[in-house]
Amino acid sequence: MGFLTILKKLRQKEKEMRILMLGLDNAGKTTILKRFNGEPIDTISPTLGFNIKTLEHRGYKLNIWDVGGQKSLRSYWKNYFESTDGVAWVVDSADARRLADCGRELRALLREERLAGATLLVLANKADLPGALSLQEIREALDLDSIKTHHWRIIRCSAVTGENLLEGMDWMLDDIASRIFTLD
Amino acid sequence: MSDKSTILERLSKRDAQRLEKLQKAHKAREEVDACDENEEYFAGAFKIKSEYIEDMLSQVPTMEAKVLPSHFDNIKREANELQKYVVTSSFFLKEFNMRKYLGIVQNLQTKCYELEDRYVPRKKFGFSKKKLPKSHIEKQSSLDDADGAGKIDSNKWDEKLFGFDSMANKVLTLENDDIFQRDVTLRNLKNCTIALKGVMGTLHMSNLDNCIVLSGPVTSSVFVEKCTNSKIVTACQQLRMHSSIKCDIYLHVTSKGIVEDCSEIRTAPYNLHYGDLEKHFNMSSLDKKVNNWDRLDDFNWLAPDIPSPNWSVLDVKQRISSWDEWWSKSPPL
Repeated sequence: MGFLTILKKLRQKEKEMRILMLGLDNAGKTTILKRFNGEPIDTISPTLGFNIKTLEHRGYKLNIWDVGGQKSLRSYWKNYFESTDGVAWVVDSADARRLADCGRELRALLREERLAGATLLVLANKADLPGALSLQEIREALDLDSIKTHHWRIIRCSAVTGENLLEGMDWMLDDIASRIFTLD
Repeated sequence: MSDKSTILERLSKRDAQRLEKLQKAHKAREEVDACDENEEYFAGAFKIKSEYIEDMLSQVPTMEAKVLPSHFDNIKREANELQKYVVTSSFFLKEFNMRKYLGIVQNLQTKCYELEDRYVPRKKFGFSKKKLPKSHIEKQSSLDDADGAGKIDSNKWDEKLFGFDSMANKVLTLENDDIFQRDVTLRNLKNCTIALKGVMGTLHMSNLDNCIVLSGPVTSSVFVEKCTNSKIVTACQQLRMHSSIKCDIYLHVTSKGIVEDCSEIRTAPYNLHYGDLEKHFNMSSLDKKVNNWDRLDDFNWLAPDIPSPNWSVLDVKQRISSWDEWWSKSPPL
């Protein structure tokens, strides 16, 4: 029995998943995390490091890591890649100016060996704002259709209203579960 | 009879020994628990472990080739353990220190990989890397160029932007319904006064030089990048400031403001006045009583106990106390 098999078996028992939440600064990562956890969202400051939340959802234990998106923090993202089951890539749908930047960072992320097996959920956040780009526009700008290396899905959502957050998370859980807990 | 008494005696002696051992173990555990979870203890333990790894790394050049693979495995295991130790200690470590420790671990790991590459040449594996088409690389490098300051920013989503772009020596005004809860962009402006009397959703400022921005309340975040010699008067929930130099911010911020790659930034409390300001504050749902204008976080300065050299509080005597004359006048050259 290989080491990986043992690891898999261990994790199966605990039904634990590790989810990494990344994206440019001001995308709304922390707001999404707090919304999930039912915490107030009106006092959130720019993340000066990272936040970890462990929550129970549908019998799974989710460890969600929300890492700050400022330029100077992006080089630290790689410290969090190990044993990640899913990546939630958060995009500010209203920030057309930095979509190219956003796409570039996402590409770099997907090339990362340690994230090879991870499920990718693209959360087009702030979709409720006037001036927000459509899902199709973001999909094109980030060139998502060319991603063949990961299971991915894009979903429009709003951390402020809570719209579609659960739907997105549920899809990610199902996709991860079908991959690592298939022996159940 | 004598058999029975010796056995009893032996049993009671054993019992006493067992109790003593238990007590000792208990005491030892208590001591460990008490001192295990503080930063000093952690720093000591971390130092010992990292030096141990360092030691193992320095032994590499003197070792025989055939024991090297297992030696490297040991190093990697130790380094992983150490990384895990740092991460599991996150609940009592300061973030700045945690990052420092993780950085040390990472250095050890890269050193290990470098040495492994040098001393244990890996077998070439079957797949060859696909070369990226040249056009793709060129595109990427031109994107990188666009990142530099001073250049005119633009992209294909420009028609989506709302606000002012590429102007000089003007007074620019937007009011009330024009901007209500919208995402307003100010970009590539020089020697302009921009008056925004209303409630906005977000406000983006990019590439402003020698400008005065007078803004009503912004519901979520204000984003500033590549601005120089400007004065910005704004109220918001979050302020994010990047790559800017010599700017004065008259700020009302209800959560926190941050600066990154900035210098000579000075802050003062928000002091704008106009007819509907009170009403606009209520519409924006910003708390007028909470203002953290003098507590910016600097991403290039993470030491909590020493103030950042990149921003300071603007001296009261140097503050502009009324903006009234500026509503209709562009800044002096």
